[in-house]
Amino acid sequence: MRDAVLTLEIARAKSARGVRHRRFVDRSATTLLWCAALAVLALLTLFVGYILYLGAPAISWQFLTSPPSEVSAGGGIGPEIYNSFYILGLTLLFTVPVAVAAGIYLQEYARPGAFRTLVQFSAESLATVPSIVMGLFGLLVFVYLLRWRFSAIGGALTLTILNLPALMRVTQEALFSVPQTYREASMALGATRWGTIWRIVLPSAVGALTTGVILIAGRIFGETAALIYTAGVSVAAGKGAYDLNPFRPAETLAVHVWYTHAESVVPDVARIGNGSALVLLVMVLLFNVVARIVGRSLTRRFTGR
Amino acid sequence: MAAIATPRIGVFATRAHRQEFIAMLVLRAASTFVVVAISALFLYLAIEGTKLFTVDHVSPFQFLFSPVFNPDANKPGSLVFIVGSLSVTLFAVLVGGPFGIAVGVFLAELAPPRMVAAMKPAIEVLVGIPSVVYGWIGLTLLVPLIRTVTGSNGFGLLAAGTVLSVMILPTVITLSEDAMRTVPNSLREGSLAMGATRWQTISRVLLPAAASGLTVAVILGIARAIGETLAVQLVIGNAAVLPQGLLGATAALPTEIVIDMAGAQQGSLLEHALFSMAFLLLLIAMALILAVRFALRKRA
Repeated sequence: MRDAVLTLEIARAKSARGVRHRRFVDRSATTLLWCAALAVLALLTLFVGYILYLGAPAISWQFLTSPPSEVSAGGGIGPEIYNSFYILGLTLLFTVPVAVAAGIYLQEYARPGAFRTLVQFSAESLATVPSIVMGLFGLLVFVYLLRWRFSAIGGALTLTILNLPALMRVTQEALFSVPQTYREASMALGATRWGTIWRIVLPSAVGALTTGVILIAGRIFGETAALIYTAGVSVAAGKGAYDLNPFRPAETLAVHVWYTHAESVVPDVARIGNGSALVLLVMVLLFNVVARIVGRSLTRRFTGR
Repeated sequence: MAAIATPRIGVFATRAHRQEFIAMLVLRAASTFVVVAISALFLYLAIEGTKLFTVDHVSPFQFLFSPVFNPDANKPGSLVFIVGSLSVTLFAVLVGGPFGIAVGVFLAELAPPRMVAAMKPAIEVLVGIPSVVYGWIGLTLLVPLIRTVTGSNGFGLLAAGTVLSVMILPTVITLSEDAMRTVPNSLREGSLAMGATRWQTISRVLLPAAASGLTVAVILGIARAIGETLAVQLVIGNAAVLPQGLLGATAALPTEIVIDMAGAQQGSLLEHALFSMAFLLLLIAMALILAVRFALRKRA
C-alpha cells in the first residue's frame, strides 16, 4: 500500500517535471526561431547600413558621370552605369518574349507527356547552371564561334539564356494564380484557347508578371560572372563609351567592381569599389520598390482588384 | 445552280483557327528553344571540356586527383580546386542550411502576419544583392574582422564559407518555408490534439513530414554555393594549395576559372583545363538536379 502511494507520488512529480521541461523546451525553441528570423533582418540592415556608410563619401556627380581611369586616381563609373542599363535592356528584349511564351506553353497548353517533361527538365537544368559556366558557353559561342569579340550583345544573349528559367517560373506562377473560372467563362462564351489567354488570362496575370520581371531585372543588373568573358572588362574611350552599337565591349558596373579590385592598378580601388557597391545596392532596392508599385497598379488597372 | 465553294477544312478554316495554329507554333518554338539551349550548352562544354583528355592526352585521373596545378609543365591537376569548392560549399551548407531551415520553419509555423510582411521583401532584397557586393562586404568587413580576431591574414576558407552561408540563405529559407506549408493541416491538428507542444509538433511531426522538401531546399542551396564565383574569389585568398584548416587560403573551381581564363591562349593546355573544370561544375549541377528529382519522387 505504502509502495503504491509512493510510486504514484513519484509518477506525479515526474510528469509535473515533464510538463515543465516540455514547456521550457518549447519556449526555448520559439525564442531561437525568432532569433534566427530577426538575425536575417539584422543582417540585411547591417549590409545596407554598412554599404551606405562606406559608399556615401565616394559618391559625387563627377564620380557617377566621368569615365573610368586606367592608371591614375579619380576615375568615374559613368560608362559602366550606362552599359549596365544597356545590357539589361537588350537582355529583357530577348528573354521576356521567349520566357513568357515558353511559360504560357507549359502552363496553358502542354498536356502531360514526353515533350513537357523534356522542357521542364531542361528549364530546371538551365536554372542550376552556374553563371561562370554560362559565361564560358557565351565565350565559346559569341566570341570564338561567331567572332563578335567581347560585345554588349554577346553579354546580353548570355544573360538571356541564364535568366530564361527564372522568368519562365515567374510566368507560370503568374498564370497559375489566375482563377480557372475565368478560363471556363471565356471558353463558354465561345472564345478560342488563344483568345482566352490573350484577352482574359494574360491581362489578369500582367501585374504579377511585371513584378517578377522587374525583380529579375534587378538581378540581371548586378550579374557579373557571366559577363566577364562575354561583354568584357573595358569601355571605349571618349564619346564611344556611350555608343548604341551592340557590337562593342561593354563593361558593366558589377564587373567594374570586380575588375578594378582584381586586375587594375589605379590607387583608389577602395573608393571606386565602395561607391560602385553603393550604386549597385541602391539600384537593387529601387528595382524592388518599383516592382511592387508597378505590379500593384497594373493589377488594379487590368482586373479592378 | 451556283457552284458551292469548297468548304475549307482543318486548321486554316477560319481566322480563329489560323490564330490558334500560329500561337501554338510560336509557343512550342519558344519551349523548344529552352531544350536547344541546354543541349547546346552541354554539348559544347562536353567537347571543350574533354579536349584536355583527347587532345592533350592528360589522364582524367590526374586531372581529378593530382594536387599539382602547373599547366606550363603539362600538369593540370585540379584536386586543390575541387577540394576547395567542396569545402566552402560544405561549410556554407552546415551553417546556412540549419539557419535557413529555422527561418523557413519560423515563417511557415509561428510568424505573425506582420513579421511575414517584413521578412518577404527583406529576403527578396537579399536575393537581389549582386554577388560582387556580397564579396565586397566580405572583403572590407569580414576579412579584416577575421584578421583581428585570429591573427591570420583573414582570407581563406572561413571567410569564403561565411559569405556563402549568407548567400544561400534566401534559397534555403524560401524553399523550406514552401516545404513546411505543403504539410497538411490535419497532421498539425492531430499532433496538437494529442497534447504535444508546438515545438514537439514541429520537430517530431512536421519536420519529418516535410523532409523531402527540406532536402530539396538544401540541395538547391548547395547548387547556389558551388557555382558562386566572384563573392568567393574576393575573399578565399586564391592560393593553389589544399586548405590548411579553416583559416587557410585556398581556391575553388569557379575562382580558378575566372582568374586564369583571361590569360589562357585559345587551344592551350591551360584553356582546356579550365574548360574541363567548367564541365565538371556543369556535371555537378546536373547531378544535383537529378538528386532533387530523386528526393521529390520518393515523396510521391
